Amino acid sequence: MNGNRSVLFVDRGSFVRRALGGLTAVSIAIAIGIAARADSGDPTAVARTLVNQALSVLGSNMTTHEKQERLRGVVEQSFDFTEMSRSALGYHWRDLTPAQRQEFTRVFTQFIEDSYLSKVSDYRGQTVTFTKTIQLAPGYSQVSSKVNQPQGGEPIALDYRLKYIGGQWKIYDVTVDSISIIANYRNQFNRVINNKGFPTLMADLRAKSTQLANALGES
Amino acid sequence: MPLQAIIVGCVRQSGGGAEKLKVEGRFKMKLQRESCSVRDGLSLGGFMAVIMMAAMICVSPAMAGESGAAASPPPTSGPPPGPNNGQPYPDPLEPFNSTMLNFNLKVDQYVVSPIARGYAAVVPRPARESVGNFFSNVGVIPRFANNLFQLRLTRAGTEVARFGINTTLGVAGLFDVADTWFGLKENRDDFGLTLGHYGVPTGPYVVLPFLGPSTIRDTVGLVADGAMNPLDWLTPWYVYIPANVGQFALAGINYRSLHLNLFEEVDRYAIDLYGAVQDGYMQRRANQQRKVDEGTVFGP
Repeated sequence: MNGNRSVLFVDRGSFVRRALGGLTAVSIAIAIGIAARADSGDPTAVARTLVNQALSVLGSNMTTHEKQERLRGVVEQSFDFTEMSRSALGYHWRDLTPAQRQEFTRVFTQFIEDSYLSKVSDYRGQTVTFTKTIQLAPGYSQVSSKVNQPQGGEPIALDYRLKYIGGQWKIYDVTVDSISIIANYRNQFNRVINNKGFPTLMADLRAKSTQLANALGES
Repeated sequence: MPLQAIIVGCVRQSGGGAEKLKVEGRFKMKLQRESCSVRDGLSLGGFMAVIMMAAMICVSPAMAGESGAAASPPPTSGPPPGPNNGQPYPDPLEPFNSTMLNFNLKVDQYVVSPIARGYAAVVPRPARESVGNFFSNVGVIPRFANNLFQLRLTRAGTEVARFGINTTLGVAGLFDVADTWFGLKENRDDFGLTLGHYGVPTGPYVVLPFLGPSTIRDTVGLVADGAMNPLDWLTPWYVYIPANVGQFALAGINYRSLHLNLFEEVDRYAIDLYGAVQDGYMQRRANQQRKVDEGTVFGP
């Protein structure tokens, strides 16, 4: 808004222009600062933004397909899929060529997104409470939350693990009842690579992804 | 939760024996006898434990060496490395485990799941939750004993108090009023965790028929906890064996009826089902062990 005004006043004398220009610069800086703090400076805020956006999409009266498209965008801005892929492959990551890494990241990202999006139709008005944030190591945080079941029953403990990468906190793992999803996939991937080789893993991932995507299309 | 092993959950819930209820009136009087008998009961479990432990301790360093040599150092991507430091679990029993996992899945598919679905269709959820509470309540003795073994006297006391409250005010254990009215939480505990608390390693992963995923150490724990059922010492084998099997089956079907999509959910997202179940069990037990060692209360 200030930006527009400064453009309008641009030709009225240097004093006004400089004053407004200065004001604009300050307000933009503050806005960026606030946005940055809210979006990436604080791990709790990153997780909270993700969950709030996801809940508002899930609670809206969009079609399932529209919800999935919106959520794909929401997920992509909060997750670091490269870090997730690296972590899910463990020590096998180092044995891959850059092209293989890139291809794995692409396929695994698709698989994870399809997994999460296939849960959309299961949404039954659950609410989320954030409980605490702890530092796991320098540059690593864990944001804990509880998913409350509207029909009663024990809440599910859902924790987000974030890494500070390139000036932003990004989610690289999610734990359900303290079971790390990425560590679970790492064990599966280790076994498949060791027993049947990397190409089989890629084929299995693609097949599963297609299966999940088809299920998405039907719902 | 998806990754939790169905049947192991039931066994742990029901370790104490449904028949404990019958001797409920004499519980206080019997308590002293029980603490002696627990030792007697343990002598069998303990004996087996010692033998299996010895075997395991001889075997596991060799295995650790093997897997250590085969695997490269942990990933460079930083903490937290996750369970087993990002390495594959040593799994010398893999061929047997694989067969057993398939066997258990078939048992579930053709027997347990259909019965659980039918049962869930006729019995409403609150009633089934109450049945779960009942089995949890009669499993008090192993929880009490293991809290005692770990020298957590307050918690052992809490378990006794919970049993008293839930058996009386909670109508024979159908309602967990000790938690809802008095804030006394169940202290999940078992002999596998007690062994772990005193430094016994888990040993290799093993999938037991009907019982599901376990480790050598936790199998020893199952035997020891099972030996704490007073019914087993008071009645002949042709009474207590069918009684235990019956109770196990009922608890298992009840648990399954409360988690109808258990395997379907895991299978839907698994690339390698064996690996998913194995890691789910190992992570869950590692988390429970951490809580036991820290002294944090954790539920079923």
